[in-house]
Amino acid sequence: MTNFTTSTQLDETERAVDGATILTVNALRVTAGAAPGGRTLVSEVSFQLGRGETLGVVGESGSGKSLTAKAVVGLLPGGLRAQGSIDFAGHQLIDATHRTWRTLRGPRISLLLQDPFTMLNPLQTAGTHLAESLRRDKSLDRGARRAEIARRLGEVGLAPEVADQYPFQLSGGMRQRVALAAALARDPELLIADEPTTALDVTTQAEVLQLLKDIQRRRGMSLMLITHDLRVAFSICDRVQVMYAGLLMEQSPAAVLATDPGHPYSAGLLIADPPVTHYVAELTAIPGSVPHAEDVVDTCAFAARCSWVKPECTAAKPPLVSVGPSRTSACLRLDEIREELRSTLDRIDDPAPPPALPAADNAVVTVTELRKTFHTRRLVGKARHTMALDGVNLQIAHGESVGVVGETGSGKTTIARSLLGLVTPDSGQISLDGMDVSNYRRLSRLTRREARRFVQMVFQDPYTSLNPSLSIGTTLREVLSVRGDVTDPGEEVASLLGRVGLPASYAQRRPATLSGGERQRVAIARAIALRPRLLVCDEPVAALDVSAQAQVLELLRDIRRSDELSTLFITHDLSVVRQMTDRIIVLYHGQIVEAGDTATVLDNPQHTYTQRLLKAAPGVLSGADHAADPAWGEGEA
Amino acid sequence: MTIALFLLRRLGGMVVLLLVLSLLVFGLLALSPVSELTTLLGTQPSTPEAVQAITAEYHLNDPFLVQYWHWLVDALHGNFGQSIQSGEPVGSVIVSHLPVTLELALYAGLLVLVLGVPVGMAAGIRRGRVFDRGVSGLTIVGMSAPGFSLGILLIYVFGVALNWFPVFGPGGDQAADRVAHLTLPSIALAAGLIALIVRQTRAATMHVMEQDYVTFARARGISRPRIMVSYALRNTGLPIVTAAGLQLIVAISGTVLVESVFSIPGAGQLMVQSIQSADIPVVQGLSFFVALLVMVVNLIVDVAVLIIDPRTRAAARG
Amino acid sequence: MIAANVTAELGGRRGARRRIPVLPLLCGLVLLVVLVCVFGGTALAPDDPTAQNPLLSVSPPGGGHLLGTDQLGHDVFSLLLAGTFPSVVGPLAVALGCLGIGAALGMSGAYFGGVTDTIVNRFTDLVYALPALLIAIVVLGVVGGGYWLTAGVLLFLSLPYEIRLCRSAALVQVRLHYVDAARTIGISPARSLFRHVLPNIMPTVIATFLLDFVNALISFAALSYLGFGVQPSSPSWGRMLSQGQSLITQNPWLSIAPAVLIIITGASATLLGDWAYERLTAAGGTR
Repeated sequence: MTNFTTSTQLDETERAVDGATILTVNALRVTAGAAPGGRTLVSEVSFQLGRGETLGVVGESGSGKSLTAKAVVGLLPGGLRAQGSIDFAGHQLIDATHRTWRTLRGPRISLLLQDPFTMLNPLQTAGTHLAESLRRDKSLDRGARRAEIARRLGEVGLAPEVADQYPFQLSGGMRQRVALAAALARDPELLIADEPTTALDVTTQAEVLQLLKDIQRRRGMSLMLITHDLRVAFSICDRVQVMYAGLLMEQSPAAVLATDPGHPYSAGLLIADPPVTHYVAELTAIPGSVPHAEDVVDTCAFAARCSWVKPECTAAKPPLVSVGPSRTSACLRLDEIREELRSTLDRIDDPAPPPALPAADNAVVTVTELRKTFHTRRLVGKARHTMALDGVNLQIAHGESVGVVGETGSGKTTIARSLLGLVTPDSGQISLDGMDVSNYRRLSRLTRREARRFVQMVFQDPYTSLNPSLSIGTTLREVLSVRGDVTDPGEEVASLLGRVGLPASYAQRRPATLSGGERQRVAIARAIALRPRLLVCDEPVAALDVSAQAQVLELLRDIRRSDELSTLFITHDLSVVRQMTDRIIVLYHGQIVEAGDTATVLDNPQHTYTQRLLKAAPGVLSGADHAADPAWGEGEA
Repeated sequence: MTIALFLLRRLGGMVVLLLVLSLLVFGLLALSPVSELTTLLGTQPSTPEAVQAITAEYHLNDPFLVQYWHWLVDALHGNFGQSIQSGEPVGSVIVSHLPVTLELALYAGLLVLVLGVPVGMAAGIRRGRVFDRGVSGLTIVGMSAPGFSLGILLIYVFGVALNWFPVFGPGGDQAADRVAHLTLPSIALAAGLIALIVRQTRAATMHVMEQDYVTFARARGISRPRIMVSYALRNTGLPIVTAAGLQLIVAISGTVLVESVFSIPGAGQLMVQSIQSADIPVVQGLSFFVALLVMVVNLIVDVAVLIIDPRTRAAARG
Repeated sequence: MIAANVTAELGGRRGARRRIPVLPLLCGLVLLVVLVCVFGGTALAPDDPTAQNPLLSVSPPGGGHLLGTDQLGHDVFSLLLAGTFPSVVGPLAVALGCLGIGAALGMSGAYFGGVTDTIVNRFTDLVYALPALLIAIVVLGVVGGGYWLTAGVLLFLSLPYEIRLCRSAALVQVRLHYVDAARTIGISPARSLFRHVLPNIMPTVIATFLLDFVNALISFAALSYLGFGVQPSSPSWGRMLSQGQSLITQNPWLSIAPAVLIIITGASATLLGDWAYERLTAAGGTR
């Protein structure tokens, strides 16, 4: 029933996009396991893609966006099954034969994956990847083939010499370019790019996105871009569709969606994403977490987290209906709440004055001339030396939050780990409120204990920072036993969980049953259990979904204010640093290239590297006007 | 650093290792519970002349390390002294026992290659299906069945009960007879190895087939044969070559037992008999030979990895 | 990552409604019976395994002897039961020793690193690449040695395997942030190792324990088959096998039965180890 209405409506609304449609997906379902008991991962997804059009598919993890993409190229992971209809230029792709796929995959449809470090065969050169992907053309001799490979590499901005290099000799960005060239080798009409920039550094991300957009335009190719980042989708897509729990929530032209969301979930995603341009007084998150597709079969999937929910929303699954020119939405109440949705965006659009800077005279942390070189001895061959920190100075005042910004290999994590004694610096001094903790190993037991209580850390990946074999309660009780002054651990655990916004019953649960955001809350509870004075946060939201990010950031802000904690906040994300810090230092190859209070540095960056970082932030990217700057290209080899 | 230099360095390391091992091998003589003199005299009557001759030949009055030095110099010339049993030079005793062992090893090796790798790959690709589960079950039994136990069962079933194969000795010089005699021993020797190689290959194949690069290759329309050879086979090659090297070394122990079970007069049986009759020079010679073999196998594995893996090649170049 | 999540969840769900694992249960049962025979084998034996009966030299099954008799008229079935002790106790001791020493050395090597770790590592790499069983045969053959010396030599030779596996499993865990977190909280290294690292490498520890046992079982049997190291008088399975081989036409059970016992015991332990490893790693669900 639903899919009948859906498809007719699509036919009407999509015609506006382009004359010819290349891909029509109708009532696509992806299920795991055998038919009756199988779990639904994607349900009733229908959309169309025009020739030369760029469609962004946006969603958090578990939304089914990647599975939708993989279903279109017929490469679903083992055990998953696609049903419904996928029509590509007249070919039915559901359960297509080997022979059909042979004529389609490569020459007509191609796929680019997320991780450039695993996508290429480690035993083959870049040139071989291209050569094997190109059309078998017997008439071409060796020289001509080499020339063709060089031309293809040139198209993605790489020198011909790259052909002779193996993947391990290339940086992430270069690998992704090689992969792109290989994916495009047979000149497909449709390219599906599954999070193609997520694993890359910020500056490289922007370049690869720009490249993707340029190539798409030049070739007039259709592009389906899968991403979790709305700003990435806005920067290069004509049309965006938002997925949630295996369902389509809305589809809109990119420019319209950015200012006039057609679904409360889209609005939630938009405001959960903090701006880089100004400070926001309160970060608004979507409460709760993403449900499984199978648990929301006969209700609006978003109802449980929606502030506008009415009984009719949970009565049946709302169909995707046309709500304007080239727009569809699955929100029943859109007409009533449209204005409200639009006005929620003001919450992050209104700049708020950042909090006053704390007095800088009473430094709790002083780091002087910190240096560290890592030596890796390998089984074969010579040792490698990597300079991680090259004379870093920094101070953190009481109650102050200092941000450390930099890309992979800049040395930002080494600063954090040195403060905690997880890394022993080669030279330089670290002083915590007068205690010299430059070398934790040389400290007396007592001083070391004191230092350990003084500084605590929230790690990047909440999936590995909790011991999977211990319950949450046990993990927290262990810390409390170190504190020593706790009389009733059970009650203290409950109050800690309460502080991070989790119910006390979570003490009995294991990490595996928690979502990423919840795990990070537990990690924060563990860090504040010792009542530290300095909290080091190493990319605390980098591994989280957008909606969970805002929750964790707001929690950290709240704890910092109430406990007058000093924090060292390490991140690659400038919008996060804008919201979370008073001062920032910009780190490049182990050296501080710029430092100052957050607003001044971000509003008026002095160093070219800072400028470049700012320019690369998604959302700041605009049109094809700034081409990739070769001088900075692939700095992180 | 060039690759040749890298290999030279590895070779250097191995020579040092060989020296250490040779010291241990030489030390075997001292380990023996009876005196060195008695051991070396063997069945000879201990006349003063004989004692004097032995003492002079083996430098028994010199300190241990000097004795070792003399032994090592001789050993490097291929001279390990005389067998106490037969009185022949140890070198020629060993050489006369080697051919049949080599034939057995070759036969078993062929079985491992022909069965192990393809079956393992097939099981890895058909993960979870009936074929895979059957193969996995068999490999567990194969891994736990030592060659001598399996040998007895083979002897009973195919030799005694069915009478298909001869069960004793190496057979005559005719090829067909040889093959018939060596079939059961080869199976006994190869079974455990096949099981291990199948497991390794299966695991490696499963790992490789799940990698992004295989998905990406399929998405670009790379042909199936090419994916199987350039992607699956080459990438599984690395762990398999390393594992095969270790298996080869494990197989040396297996040969000793299998030759004993099937009464094949090869180097393995020579080893057992020499130990039983305290023919220490022969034991030393054989042990030294095995140490050399282990080094060569390791070197071959190194070279094979260099050929397959560009990363190791680059690291070796420095 | 999504694909990985999906399959992990599928595994979990499938596990929930999985039927009773018949084969692993059967293997457990086999090992249990073997364990009972280790300590009560002589008591359970229908005949006195030392009772000779020259009139019944090498008779096939029948006449009150389930598996016939050997050349001195011993009841083969009773011999097998009594042989469980010498065949299994040594391997069990070797595996237990490996478990204790290997896990401790491997874990602390992974956690502390440093010079000791490097030395232990180099040493294990070296011994790992040598034919262990052959070394045991040569050393024990030349020295003579007894039952416990055999166990000692085998322990020494199988340690590298255990250390390597425990070390690499522990290394994976040590690099995860929860171990760092324990350190920053001020948990002592020993406590970190036992409370945090050990439970998470339990699958490896258990699987290696069973594998070590199987290897030691085979090595003990091999040595007693050849008559090295282990006392020739002890009626272990390996010894029976070699005695029975020459009599295979008269009473095949004399050699087949111990061979089958060795294979069944070994296969049961291997399968159980395999199964436990897969179950435990799936249940741990780090991700």
